[in-house]
Amino acid sequence: MTVSVTTSGSGMSAQRVSRIKAVGGLLRHPAIAFGVMISAAWLVVVLTVHWWAPYDPYESVGERLRSPNGDHWFGTDALGRDVFTRVLYGARQSLPISVAVIACALLIGGLLGAVAGYFGKRVDTVVMRLVDVTMAFPPILLAMAVAAALGPGLRNGFIAMVVVWWPIYARLLRAQVMAMKHKEHVEAAVSIGATRSRILRRHVLPLSFTGVMVNATVDLGQVVLLTASLSFLGLGALPPAPEWGAMITEGAKNFYQWWIALAPGLAMVTVVLGINFLGDGLRDVLDVKVASK
Amino acid sequence: MRISSSTGGLRRRRSHGLLALGAAFTLIVTGCGGDDSESSTTTGETENTDSNETGGSEVTDGGSESETRELIIARDMDINSLDPSRAYCDTCQIYLTAVYETLITVDPTDLTNRLPRLASNWEANDDNTVFTFMLNPSATFADGSPVEAKDVKWTWERLHNVKGSAGYLMDGIASIETPDDKTVVATFGAPNSAFLPIVSAPYMGIMNSDEAVAQAGSVSDENAETADTSEEFYLGTSLGSGPYILESYTEGDALVLAANANYWNGAPAFPGVTIKQVKDSSSQLQQLQAGDVDIAMQISIDSLGQLEGDPNLAVSTIDSYNYVYVAFSPGSTLTGGEQLQDPNVRLAMKLALDYEGIIDATVAGNGKLQASPIPNGFEGSAGLALPAEDLDQAAQLMADAGLADGFALDAVYPKVNVYGVDFDIMMQKVQQDLKRINIDLQLQPVEFSQWRETINATGIPVTAVYFAPDHTDTSQYPGYFGMMEGSPWSARAGGGAAGAPIINPDQAPLLAEALAASGDAKAAAYAALGQSMIDDLIFMPLVNPQLVLAAQADVKGMHYSGCCNLDLSLLSIGS
Repeated sequence: MTVSVTTSGSGMSAQRVSRIKAVGGLLRHPAIAFGVMISAAWLVVVLTVHWWAPYDPYESVGERLRSPNGDHWFGTDALGRDVFTRVLYGARQSLPISVAVIACALLIGGLLGAVAGYFGKRVDTVVMRLVDVTMAFPPILLAMAVAAALGPGLRNGFIAMVVVWWPIYARLLRAQVMAMKHKEHVEAAVSIGATRSRILRRHVLPLSFTGVMVNATVDLGQVVLLTASLSFLGLGALPPAPEWGAMITEGAKNFYQWWIALAPGLAMVTVVLGINFLGDGLRDVLDVKVASK
Repeated sequence: MRISSSTGGLRRRRSHGLLALGAAFTLIVTGCGGDDSESSTTTGETENTDSNETGGSEVTDGGSESETRELIIARDMDINSLDPSRAYCDTCQIYLTAVYETLITVDPTDLTNRLPRLASNWEANDDNTVFTFMLNPSATFADGSPVEAKDVKWTWERLHNVKGSAGYLMDGIASIETPDDKTVVATFGAPNSAFLPIVSAPYMGIMNSDEAVAQAGSVSDENAETADTSEEFYLGTSLGSGPYILESYTEGDALVLAANANYWNGAPAFPGVTIKQVKDSSSQLQQLQAGDVDIAMQISIDSLGQLEGDPNLAVSTIDSYNYVYVAFSPGSTLTGGEQLQDPNVRLAMKLALDYEGIIDATVAGNGKLQASPIPNGFEGSAGLALPAEDLDQAAQLMADAGLADGFALDAVYPKVNVYGVDFDIMMQKVQQDLKRINIDLQLQPVEFSQWRETINATGIPVTAVYFAPDHTDTSQYPGYFGMMEGSPWSARAGGGAAGAPIINPDQAPLLAEALAASGDAKAAAYAALGQSMIDDLIFMPLVNPQLVLAAQADVKGMHYSGCCNLDLSLLSIGS
């Protein structure tokens, strides 16, 4: 009774219930549920690892190059640091920077793409030629070149990855906006005298959001890999940061101590797998074209 | 490349499933290419190779297999040039020794025992200012022309005048005379007891001067530094008298040598020698196990367990004269340089290091401590106090300097793995140790060329470098590390080109005294120089690592040479 009163008495509450139902519906999709579960687990690691990690990731805590055992589940590295602890802390290096890269790329690329798509003409030409030039380079090579020019370090790696990733969202948003700007509701807004920026903000961008979010989710896994790749090549995290790609480099140097590379490799697999499941599931559910097939 | 009849080259292989899975997994997730993930079985007993052959002029008798089988060496090459007057690197030592013979050489097992090569006799006057060399009349270059005194004069003058990194070897030369075709007289303005060891350095190898001028347009006179533009020519051609000649060099791929068909001192043991670029230790190890290479030169001591018991391989570890060290630039303008101007802060840092722990972390304990820049085994190294950890005193010194809360220091170092020491690991260990006295070392690994540029431009507050001897005399160490006018580290410690050199006025007279002395007096002068360099508190030698000699069991003559790294003329194939 209370519920019915509340829902019927408040539009906001009805909306909330509807959202909860929608989220519940999403979680019934097995891929999304699996992806959310893994991603949530890693999120918990990122937020809480400093409270419960078994060791300090920077300190030598045991005999060097020990294979996995009861004290050190993933063994120890060349300095006697606990690999399990470093892998957990590695999530703090890789995941926030990957989210930040996607966010910045989305902000910069999305804004430029939306403006290009909506205004067209010369603005569109300039932005899209810039996109074409940037996308003409293989992503890893461009990222390496930018990172090498700026010098090693995660901050410079972050800049390099944003440079690589923004054109993807520029192109995506441009296409979405161009498709959207001829819809009836947009033309109706034009006819009643709405300003261009209002139309873009209120009537075009919100409807383009779904496809972009699906794409961003899938891209997140790719950025995690690119972050690790840059560090693997010595262009990302600096020692002694427990970054997964840098740890794999160390594992490659100590090839016969297989656990040093295997552990961060496994971590990356789970993260990328979880994010990809989530992204694929969201696309299945939310993307009209896929859903209608 | 490898002859299939080679007994040492055939291996039963089985893949280590877990390793292969791990490697594949790693490569997939990083999206990067890599090296082989295959390794071979290791059974039976390990054989040690200690058959050091002596006598540079005595080429070992190549068996029938040597005559047809090429020698293949896996090595991470660091070649900067193949021009004998400009080359200066560990791989250059191997190349130059094989291709450009020196007048005399050194017994790998006894640094004081000099052996004839192009010169059959030599003598020095009493005060070590005049050196006379009589050339072997049989000696010829690869084109068949005789090695003459004018070639020696031209080569040494070019080395001096081109002013390459090894040009310092001819410092102090007053004149080079050639009374006849087979006699060379080198005269110095001041006593130079180091000159005979210097003559055995690979960088002193003799070039065919007529051909160098005719083919390459090389110049040896006072204008050579700017007038000589022939460096590129030597990337494709060699003009020496050694048992091998240059066939080709492809950067990042291979250095290929062919036997010198006209070699004047007996047939070379191999029809050819290929030094193959293999960057990392584990790939070198796998290729050695698989029989793809005959010698692997930079196998990590941590991987030695993988080779244990393989009857097809000969593996041993030996003492070396190489070492890695940490150095300070108190004059550097980078972060932390200013604090290092207080010698007590540098002393605190020296006392804060866990030296045994560093040796354990870098070479699994297979190395020695070293007191000064003069390596263990060289004249002047004995009797100097080895560095020791004293954390309490270090903390006290920091407190006295008003730096109890510590400070941040830029630590730029080359991203290399030399003599089995991974600089990333070593510097992280140093960082851990210094953290105990609240010093925050900000590690910045860079490419070697970038490191060299930085250290020469501004100095680097804390850096790490390595050193292998250029020859067998101690004078090279004060010459390079001493705080003396013109020494490379005097300028670097003072902040590079942007700063002013640091000068210790005691050291130049001590070096002059050592170069004029002999016997115990010479050793005492070098020991005093060693102590003086310790007191400078600019260098902290960390590890004098043992070397791993790893080769197929049928490769004979494996050795480590104090002057020349690896002398290919001493290698052969035998049962």
